[in-house]
Amino acid sequence: MTTENETSSLDDKSLVGAAQQGDMQAFEELVARHRDKVYARAFSMMRNEEEAIDLSQEAWVKGWQRLKQFQGESAFGTWMTRIVINLCLDALRKQRRHPAESIEEMDEETGGVERQMPPVVTNPTERLEQGELRQRIDAALEKLSPEHRTVLVLHEFEDMEYKEIAKTVGCSIGTVMSRLFYARRKMAALLADLKTENEL
Amino acid sequence: MKYERQLKLQAHLDHELPEAESREVAAWLAADAEASALAAELKNTRQALAGAGAPLKLPETREFYWSKISREIARLETKREPVAVAAESWFARARRFVVPAGAMAGLAIAALLALNQPVEEMLFETSVQTGAETRASTYHDYAHGATLVWLSFPSQSGAAGGDTSNH
Repeated sequence: MTTENETSSLDDKSLVGAAQQGDMQAFEELVARHRDKVYARAFSMMRNEEEAIDLSQEAWVKGWQRLKQFQGESAFGTWMTRIVINLCLDALRKQRRHPAESIEEMDEETGGVERQMPPVVTNPTERLEQGELRQRIDAALEKLSPEHRTVLVLHEFEDMEYKEIAKTVGCSIGTVMSRLFYARRKMAALLADLKTENEL
Repeated sequence: MKYERQLKLQAHLDHELPEAESREVAAWLAADAEASALAAELKNTRQALAGAGAPLKLPETREFYWSKISREIARLETKREPVAVAAESWFARARRFVVPAGAMAGLAIAALLALNQPVEEMLFETSVQTGAETRASTYHDYAHGATLVWLSFPSQSGAAGGDTSNH
């Protein structure tokens, strides 16, 4: 069993090896190192602090239970992020009360205004300070539906390919492409202060 | 611009197209101003989002956050462990079988004995004259452990009556 001083000096691979042998202190160090990343991913999908904390903790418990299955095929932090993403997707599916389409989904299928909208020419990164940009992005992400936000988060923040997103979310690659396109165009409009047809 | 072309443009920017198709889109971009503008918008959005994915700080202390996780792990591991059962001695195991079997055998023997015994041997009668017109008759059934006492006395109407007591 490692002591607290020893664990802080070990790399992730060594900590994972120790934790796989039942060293709880090693696992606690892994939690401390990667908790912000795992929480941030949960928050980006759920947009609710309490839910994100609960789901991130649930992910850590699952991580402990499945630790022996981790073979180092990816970074440990990435592996944990995948666990929390799947938990968030399950939670979002449960929250989804109405199988009927939302206005955004109808837009997506029939041709939303964002498709016909002329391209936004201003670059938000040039116009806005980093802090303000971050706030604008957070606010814009809130306005997306969970389906669109999920695809955007998985592609832009997790660098997942279309095929991988489709498999994770449980939809076709075509749907991934449509949702991603819709989400990006809506983000561009929101960041540029343009109002969509729904807001006018 | 057709929707399918817009999606193809996006796929090209995301490096999702095969090489031949990607070259085709690149050539189209170079010649089409509207497509070029859309590509610029998509790139700008991606650039803006690149900085937004940085980890937020978890709003709980390390110790508090960990305490909930470790408690849940401990709870699940306690739930999973099977309850240890103390090994029974051979005597205890045998007793669980022998006691009810013996009781059943005793009942069976008693029933056989009762069925085999003549009726007249089961009863024993005594009779005592207690008064001029009263009499107490006692019947003992030893086989069943029962005693019947019959008291005879004239009723108010003149007919004989009795009482029974079972001891």
